[in-house]
Amino acid sequence: MEKDEAFMAEVLNRTAAPRQPSWNTGGLNSATEQVGNWFLNPNWDNSMDQSDPFESALSSMVSSPAAASNVPVSGENVMMRELIGKLGNICNSGDASCYSTPLNSPPRLNLSMVSLPNQTTLAPFSADPGFADRAARLSCFSTGGNFGGLNDPLMDSFKLSPMAGNSGSDKKNTGVSRSSSPENAESGVSKEESSVSQQIPSRNDAGTRKRKSIPRGKAKETPSPAAADDKVASENDESNSKRSKRDGAPAGNGNAKAANDGDEKQSKENSKLPEPPKDYIHVRARRGQATDSHSLAERVRREKISERMKFLQDLVPGCNKVIGKAVMLDEIINYVQSLQRQVEFLSMKLATVNPRMDVNMEALLSKDMFQSRGLLPQGIYSMDSSAQAFPFGYQPQQGQPLNNVIPNITETQFSMKTQGFQLPLINGFTDANPQVGSVWEDDLQSIVQMGFGQNQPQSYQGSITTGQVKIEL
Amino acid sequence: MDSQLLNPTSLKSRFTARFLRALTKINAPNPISSSSPTPREIFQRYRRIKVAADKSMAYSVRSRTTWSRATLSRLRTRSRHRRLASFGPRSSVTTAAVLKKTSSHGKENEGGLGVQAGELRELVPGGEAMDLCNLLDETAHYIKCLTTQVQVMKTIANLYSLE
Repeated sequence: MEKDEAFMAEVLNRTAAPRQPSWNTGGLNSATEQVGNWFLNPNWDNSMDQSDPFESALSSMVSSPAAASNVPVSGENVMMRELIGKLGNICNSGDASCYSTPLNSPPRLNLSMVSLPNQTTLAPFSADPGFADRAARLSCFSTGGNFGGLNDPLMDSFKLSPMAGNSGSDKKNTGVSRSSSPENAESGVSKEESSVSQQIPSRNDAGTRKRKSIPRGKAKETPSPAAADDKVASENDESNSKRSKRDGAPAGNGNAKAANDGDEKQSKENSKLPEPPKDYIHVRARRGQATDSHSLAERVRREKISERMKFLQDLVPGCNKVIGKAVMLDEIINYVQSLQRQVEFLSMKLATVNPRMDVNMEALLSKDMFQSRGLLPQGIYSMDSSAQAFPFGYQPQQGQPLNNVIPNITETQFSMKTQGFQLPLINGFTDANPQVGSVWEDDLQSIVQMGFGQNQPQSYQGSITTGQVKIEL
Repeated sequence: MDSQLLNPTSLKSRFTARFLRALTKINAPNPISSSSPTPREIFQRYRRIKVAADKSMAYSVRSRTTWSRATLSRLRTRSRHRRLASFGPRSSVTTAAVLKKTSSHGKENEGGLGVQAGELRELVPGGEAMDLCNLLDETAHYIKCLTTQVQVMKTIANLYSLE
């Protein structure tokens, strides 16, 4: 929906700028630090045996830069993407113990991120095939390249991967991009771990939009030890068919640790990809925010509520200037109250006006409802405005049954009639007043004040009690 | 927009049809333009018309929304009250009990909007048992239906005055 995209674009633009400095200053450190924090998150229940695969994966990663150095930027990007994928694996693994092992492996990385202070984070680089895919999906949050201006090759990879990642976007991806939109790829990785599952309320209302992110269930399925680069690449290929850049990747990477279980895991991943779990809403925590499940759920709720408030803002006239939930709610309450009172007032009017049932009401209404569209947008002032629009001394065939007239009338003529009859309507209305007496004078005054606008209460008060109506034009 | 044909199954058409039928039923017993209907008669007619309006709107929405279901059940219990005065208001008691049970759960996460949420719950029928999230959805649908109702009733009133 355009609202989602607008929101996403807005958030992206807002958050794009602060990200870049962190990147340029070796921000990956902070990123991986955060990732490291994620690893120690006790909320995780994923456990991966990653002691061996770390080094193998790392070696593969390390060697790939060497191979990629001869290759133009695309190779680096691919390598970077795999790096992200492996980094994502780290996120998936909930076992904190496995991160202690590969302390020796990071130094082998010749990438710019070697200077990681927290080297445990890079350890479980068992390239999770699932995660590479997830990273690709995550990367799709940068719709339209808010990475402009990044010179770092790392940034290039992140910049390019979103472009490719966007290609295979289905609704899942848009959901992912929406939920993870404020994040850069790095923090998107960090967000992986704090996904929270929520039950999706099954509703088809127009106003509801479902948040979907990469299913967390995939993480549980991908403790693949030997996620080689090409496996990652091929898995990504299968999942996102349009990623053309990836085609060169498998060939480029030399140390493909082809593991059979990796294949199986990939196939499982692929089979799982098309159908995200439908019973849960997966949410990622944003960078710098609390990650326990309660606050995440809370944040999801708040976002849902603000989403609906925005929708209501469009529905209630005159709420565009108001900012803030409390005032908005007040406006909404006032509007609902005024609508309810209008219904009461109109039903009272209908009770007084004696109809002559010799007219085909439904035919009249079916035509008249076209014109009545113009009445409502003016809200409660419609009576006044249409009364103002009555210049002619239109003495209609009030006595005649309108049956004969209606079929001949075009809609425009009919609209003239309906507008012209506002004045006699009010006259007819006041004729009934002396008969009513005091029963509904008070009610009527209050309702009429509501119905006819607050700018003319005095005139109506006086007029109603005396049985005359003066329309202030 | 004026020249658009209305969807015959739209909310507006459904409500209009039902409401007109109810109106003809209400107006039928009255002689045409009997001189000086007493205020009490007018008041009774007003109430009946109001009930008819709410009921026809709730019926047009079927049971898709909580507020429509609440309105329908409320109308039914009220009519049952009127007709069977000897019976106790059993249905209302049970619904109140059910509402009390469910209402406590969903209202926890309102943030600072508790007062307004409470007011909104009073306004929207059936809103007592909903959390803020669903309440806002219901409010949106309710507003849409109310505007339709007002629109149609206005045009009907205009048409009535034409004759």
